[in-house]
Amino acid sequence: MSTSTTFLTFDGIVAGYGGGDVLRGVDFTVHEGGVTCIVGPNGSGKSTLLKTVSGLLHPRLGQIVFKGTALVGKTPREILKLGIVQVPQQHSLFREMSVEENVSLGAFLVRDRAEVARRLSSVREMFPIVASRAKDKAGSLSGGQQRLVEFARCLMLEPELVVLDEPSMGLDPKTLRSMFDTIKLMNEMGRTVLLVEQNARQALKLSHHGVVLENGQVRLSGTGKEVLNNPEIGALYLGGTIKAGPEMHPDVTMEETD
Amino acid sequence: MNGTAVLHSIIDGVLTGSVYALMATGLTLIFGVMNIINVAQGIFVILGAYLSYALSVHLGIDLFVGLAITIPTLFVVGIVVERVFLSRIKGPERVVMSILVTYAISLVIEGVLNMVFSANYVELHAWYANRSVRVFGFYLGYIYLLGFGLAVVLLGALYVMLYRTRFGSSVRASLADQTAAALIGINVRRVSTICFGLGVAVTAAGGMIYGATNAFNASSSYDLISRLLVIIVLGGMGSIGGALVAGIMMITIEDLVSVVWGPVWSNLAFFLILVVVLSLRPQGLFGKPSVRVA
Repeated sequence: MSTSTTFLTFDGIVAGYGGGDVLRGVDFTVHEGGVTCIVGPNGSGKSTLLKTVSGLLHPRLGQIVFKGTALVGKTPREILKLGIVQVPQQHSLFREMSVEENVSLGAFLVRDRAEVARRLSSVREMFPIVASRAKDKAGSLSGGQQRLVEFARCLMLEPELVVLDEPSMGLDPKTLRSMFDTIKLMNEMGRTVLLVEQNARQALKLSHHGVVLENGQVRLSGTGKEVLNNPEIGALYLGGTIKAGPEMHPDVTMEETD
Repeated sequence: MNGTAVLHSIIDGVLTGSVYALMATGLTLIFGVMNIINVAQGIFVILGAYLSYALSVHLGIDLFVGLAITIPTLFVVGIVVERVFLSRIKGPERVVMSILVTYAISLVIEGVLNMVFSANYVELHAWYANRSVRVFGFYLGYIYLLGFGLAVVLLGALYVMLYRTRFGSSVRASLADQTAAALIGINVRRVSTICFGLGVAVTAAGGMIYGATNAFNASSSYDLISRLLVIIVLGGMGSIGGALVAGIMMITIEDLVSVVWGPVWSNLAFFLILVVVLSLRPQGLFGKPSVRVA
């Protein structure tokens, strides 16, 4: 698959909540057809950056352009219509609704019922849990199962870009592996993926591109492999073993709190 | 006290309670979707009653036929109030601010109603308002039966809207999680505005039945809002099922206490139940703990 076309660009994004700016001029490009992973320490602005893509947060300065269309100022609904779907960090299924109803709601913007049914059946093939637990309340599923149903729901819109905010959060190692396999599968099916991950090593391994965010700015970007193999980055964010300078904290955790 | 009187009070309670449940459902729907406590709900009920009064006295329109005018009118009033006042309230103080703003709206409407209709008590009249039917050895007023029927029909319509329509899905999704709802393309702002309109619209029906069973003036809204708030807190803030159960339960118990121990105890029982239930289940009967932090 080609990973060269410019698809989504961040140009000087400055954004924050109320008082201060969390993002202080973020510039980078997401290429079509690839998996782009953003890593960085706690509070570096990873989740905040994703919120600016989905329209949950409007940047104070800068522009985000998706296939020639400016995203800043658009509502989450308008951004969904352009083909960008976000799965948020916190579980976002409607707990009291059934699994099937949750997944169907992923195609809320599609009014043609036959089309929704067609998409539902194709999503069922990819995620057997959508069929096997169809009538169960979403709240009764385990964390990993809920994550899969969230993935299934986001595919109902047949998005061009899937934005995932720390999808591994709270998952056990086995579930984690199958979750990363699913991300890979989504990408192979033609979805461009932009994700923020705390399991940086695993995420960068499957990513075509890696971006390191620090203090609200891009510290480094390159191929997933380049970022993974960068010694300084390795020591800072990936639990590497090379000697770290006095200002560096090799044991920094990657949990996002913003 | 005898068995018939107790049965009578229970049936009376269920019939009247269903109308309260309807009005409380509107209030809890507004809170659930918007995180707004609409203390103007009581005055909207009275506004609905006065609209029915005006249509019936000045134009000779039957109370139930008049609902075809009063329900849409209050729906529009709700939409305007939401757009002009409530949509501007944002931020962490939203719940508290909403109480102040809706209280101010309530005072303004109360003042206008007092100016237009005076503070004298009025009652709605219709041929069925003073007639009754004999059941199990006691008389049930037509108006109570009709009120119950109206509440059932409107609550049924609300149920169908919530569980069988696309808009209903968007309401339930917004009730559960506004951010998640926005991320699947639901226009939460629009849903909020329409829900406020619907929540206020049901007061037209509630107000008509209230006015046909009680003499009222604009100040009657205070008693109404305190009861409605007790009902939704008891049922669990934001829980529609909770509002239904608590509405019927509270009015039935109140009626029952009134018959068994005397009317002076009924108000006390009403609020005592609230205190007891909340001390055991702070989230109310059907509320979820820590789902919403006001």
